[in-house]
Amino acid sequence: MPRKHNFSRRAFLYGAGGVTVALPFLEGLRPRKVVAAGPERPRYAVFVRQANGCAQAEGMEPEQFWPRDLGPVTKESLSTTDADRAVSELAEYADKLLMVRGTRFAFPGNGCGHSGGGNQVLTAQKVSDDPSGNKSLAMGESIDNRIARELNPLSNPEPLAVYAGAMGGYINEVLSYRGPKDLRAAERNPWNVYQKMVGITMLPEQQIMDIKARRTSVNDLLKEQMQSLMSSPKLSTDDQDRLQLHFDAIRDIEIELACSLPPQEELDAMEAQGDYSGQDDRMQTIVMMHCNLIALAFACDYTRAATLQIGDGNDGTEYLIDGNKFPRYHQISHRIYSDGGEGDPIPDALGKHHRIDREHAKMFAHLLKRLSMYTTDVGTILDDSVAVWCNDLGTGVGHSYNNIPWVCAGGAGGFLKTGQYIDAGGVDHNKFHNTILSAVGLTNMEGAHVDDFGDPELEPGVIDAMIAV
Amino acid sequence: MVEAPDKLRRVAIPGAPGAWSLAAPGAWSMALLLATGCYQGADLDGDDDATAPGSAGTPGSADAGEAGTPTTGATDTADTADTADTADTADTADTAGEADGLPQTSRYPRLSHTQWENSVQDLLSLAEPTGFSKLFIGDPISGGFDNNSEALKVTATLWTDYQRGAEAVADLVAGNPDILAKIAPASEGDSDAQARAFIIAFGKRAYRRPLTPEEVDRHVQIFQSGVSTPGTFEPFAAGVRLVVQAMLQSPFFLYRIEASDVELDGKIKLGDYELASKLSYMLWNTMPDDELFVAADAKLLQDPAGLSVQATRMLEDPRAHAMVATFHHQLLHVDHYSDVYKDPNKFPNYDPAMNAMMATETMMFVEDVVFGQEGDLAALLTAPYSLVNDKLAALYGVAAPAGPEFARVDLDPAQRAGILTQVGFLSANAGAFENDIIHRGVFMNLQLICSPLPPPPNMVPPLPPPVEGESLRERVDRHTGEGTCGAGCHGGMINPLGFAFENYGPLGQWQTVDAGKPVDASAEFAFKDGVKPYDGAVQLAQLMAESPDAHRCYVAHLLEYGYARGPQKADDTLIQKVADASQAGTLSIKQMILELTRSEAFMYRAPVEG
Repeated sequence: MPRKHNFSRRAFLYGAGGVTVALPFLEGLRPRKVVAAGPERPRYAVFVRQANGCAQAEGMEPEQFWPRDLGPVTKESLSTTDADRAVSELAEYADKLLMVRGTRFAFPGNGCGHSGGGNQVLTAQKVSDDPSGNKSLAMGESIDNRIARELNPLSNPEPLAVYAGAMGGYINEVLSYRGPKDLRAAERNPWNVYQKMVGITMLPEQQIMDIKARRTSVNDLLKEQMQSLMSSPKLSTDDQDRLQLHFDAIRDIEIELACSLPPQEELDAMEAQGDYSGQDDRMQTIVMMHCNLIALAFACDYTRAATLQIGDGNDGTEYLIDGNKFPRYHQISHRIYSDGGEGDPIPDALGKHHRIDREHAKMFAHLLKRLSMYTTDVGTILDDSVAVWCNDLGTGVGHSYNNIPWVCAGGAGGFLKTGQYIDAGGVDHNKFHNTILSAVGLTNMEGAHVDDFGDPELEPGVIDAMIAV
Repeated sequence: MVEAPDKLRRVAIPGAPGAWSLAAPGAWSMALLLATGCYQGADLDGDDDATAPGSAGTPGSADAGEAGTPTTGATDTADTADTADTADTADTADTAGEADGLPQTSRYPRLSHTQWENSVQDLLSLAEPTGFSKLFIGDPISGGFDNNSEALKVTATLWTDYQRGAEAVADLVAGNPDILAKIAPASEGDSDAQARAFIIAFGKRAYRRPLTPEEVDRHVQIFQSGVSTPGTFEPFAAGVRLVVQAMLQSPFFLYRIEASDVELDGKIKLGDYELASKLSYMLWNTMPDDELFVAADAKLLQDPAGLSVQATRMLEDPRAHAMVATFHHQLLHVDHYSDVYKDPNKFPNYDPAMNAMMATETMMFVEDVVFGQEGDLAALLTAPYSLVNDKLAALYGVAAPAGPEFARVDLDPAQRAGILTQVGFLSANAGAFENDIIHRGVFMNLQLICSPLPPPPNMVPPLPPPVEGESLRERVDRHTGEGTCGAGCHGGMINPLGFAFENYGPLGQWQTVDAGKPVDASAEFAFKDGVKPYDGAVQLAQLMAESPDAHRCYVAHLLEYGYARGPQKADDTLIQKVADASQAGTLSIKQMILELTRSEAFMYRAPVEG
């Protein structure tokens, strides 16, 4: 059972809500993978995914998402001229925003538009032939996996993958892939996430030493056992790969967080949600807790990449917004009371979709607020990051794979040109991801911008307009 | 101890298990399917209106109008969840009696989280599971059922979860004198001898085989490390703690390892302890019990007769009932019943509480047919009775049973036959207002006939609005029947099976009229042994019960679930043999399960290729 932490001297000053917290840098003390390329200052990327497209211009439906005009955006412009647009909820962070219209998913889905979109959004890979339909999978790794395997600390090689919402089974996780058809499971419970992040960090010194000693003994035995199994010459390739994955997972290096941990009331609140199993009326609460954890994870350099999936594959959440319970979001996105092709029309479904877009914008704004809470010697963790609000579809009714709504915030250490809204001109979205990978400090073999993420058939390159000169 | 079926996560629609093909639905439509690139699985849960890129006329969008044909799988990589060979034809079935060779299988299938939980409970003789696996990162859905052990892996995140879980169990053990007394009873000799005795006895159960002398020595070292970091525990308890902590993270615990290596006649016979584990995880989802260990010690399991004795015994245990229940719960998509919703104006007699009742009915019926009646597949498909309460009885139009509990009621054999005419299946495959012919047909094809149905194309428009006086059947036919692009799949395969259920409304109630006209539930379907006509679901159920397709499909699914892996071409002969016996009426479902434990595929493994 989770236990209350005895905050010893290892716990530093807490930041109360809204007050920035000083973060000591202990880079030199943490084992770091030697990588071919990497920034001097760590940079972070998080992808927050909404489902079912957004209420943007399509057919007879008017534009309600993006700003009116391409070009610079300011707090003033977003909160006055574009006050009727969903992105206006982010006015406070206008100078840090980079909104990118005009990218598309390159490949068709395979029997299910939601699944095909979900497969591609963070991978830019083809959709599997088999399995198909709602069970289709991506044919390559996702961007968070790429970042984590190149830049994460040795003690924690995987990207953080968290999830809010029901896991109904039609499509659950969609975002994060270790490799072709190798979908990564996400953690739904914030208290679990926190406990895994903190590990043994908060225990008394002697206890930590004992635990480490025991773990070392055990790990030595485990490695011997694994090696004896792996030395058999008669293993299939699949078995070899699985055993190798397991062997590589045996880690002696402990996660040691040397950063400020959340105040007790936040811990208590997370623990109180320990029974969360996807209830609709807790969605926003859980999302905000995950946002808090992601910001903490970056501030503690626990991971360089994270994903937050809001809702399952076609998000049937009945959102509770301003005290009103909405119809199922998936149905709203179809504009009818049905998950299929026909049903009674939902009154003002378009307005409701727009309202849900605003709600997602508010949740994203909370993430930005938390990232801004942690200061560095040159700014905030948000400045060192790129937070990306995205969607596995462009629109709900048409299930369009065009104009995927990418709303980035944070300059990734000055790499990205923020305070603007651009149109990428209808390019495949692998170029968006190449730009993000470059922003967090990765390069290609020649030491230039990453240009080859995703399916190799796609045209390589970045989106120049995203990059600060 | 085992997760009750109603707590299972909903499983997405499985692909038809594969390399061996089944019903060839008429040469021309098969040719059409092959020409368009057939693959398994279909979009079952309502979201047919998928899209291709470039759709929707957004101003300024480039690349409009790409057709929605799926790409071919040029970059398809090896997939443990899928079948080995997809280039199969109907001819495979005709080679019944020939040896197929053994299927290629993993030597390291990983325990599922449920199996981890059950194994720990049994290892420690606990009354309840610890629940520690709730903190484990989940396994993404893979394959037709949720237990494809070959697809399960130990990732970096899960390894950390196993570490924490093992430490939690170890702390629990060390701090509980009762558990300690059970797994490390006081014995003769000094502390070293006691440690040794504990490691030998506990290790044999944790690793599901006797430890070698070298392994015992190595674990004694672990014990001593534990003693040297006792924390708050007594030395002996501290030693036990570290051994438990180590063993629960060991690959010998986490995987059901098939180490046997001696090849004879192209086959490798599994050892007694390996067979014991294979049997207990298949039938009970947990480690072997004491009696199974005794049989393995006495080398009784390598003899099929000895294995049968154990399998027969184990089938009578409640844990085997849970395995049968879970299999059917997933095969019949009983988890979808919880999503049933009917319009309150059109169906004032609908009560959302009925959803759970319908699930209970189906599960109780399965239990009664399989265990109570020792019935076969034909009984499952055609028996004209069910187990209902008063609310459900009203839907069937029969008298309520006496008392509040579910009880057996006989149904009108002219109206009801087995699982296909139960209100749960019918309601779950219907909308809030009207039936869903297409999804009832797709369910039949995928779950019960194993047709090689491809997924729908990406841009499927919804059903057109109804025309005055048009029945639902007519409307569906207009949209997808002859002369439309859907004719190939819908005309020959999907719709005919869906039409058979038009005598049952969206809540499963008997109806004889639709849009003012008498219901037309007649159609014909190309079974493997010929095209057969029928009028209504009762006749269809009878045809299914006599068809080679349904028997073969059921056995293939049972094999997939029982063996916790996708079926392969090499399983063809076994599947055919069991299906033939089932079709001949000489094999109950219980006996089917026993047959699966007597097969070469169970008792042997194939040498690794290459």
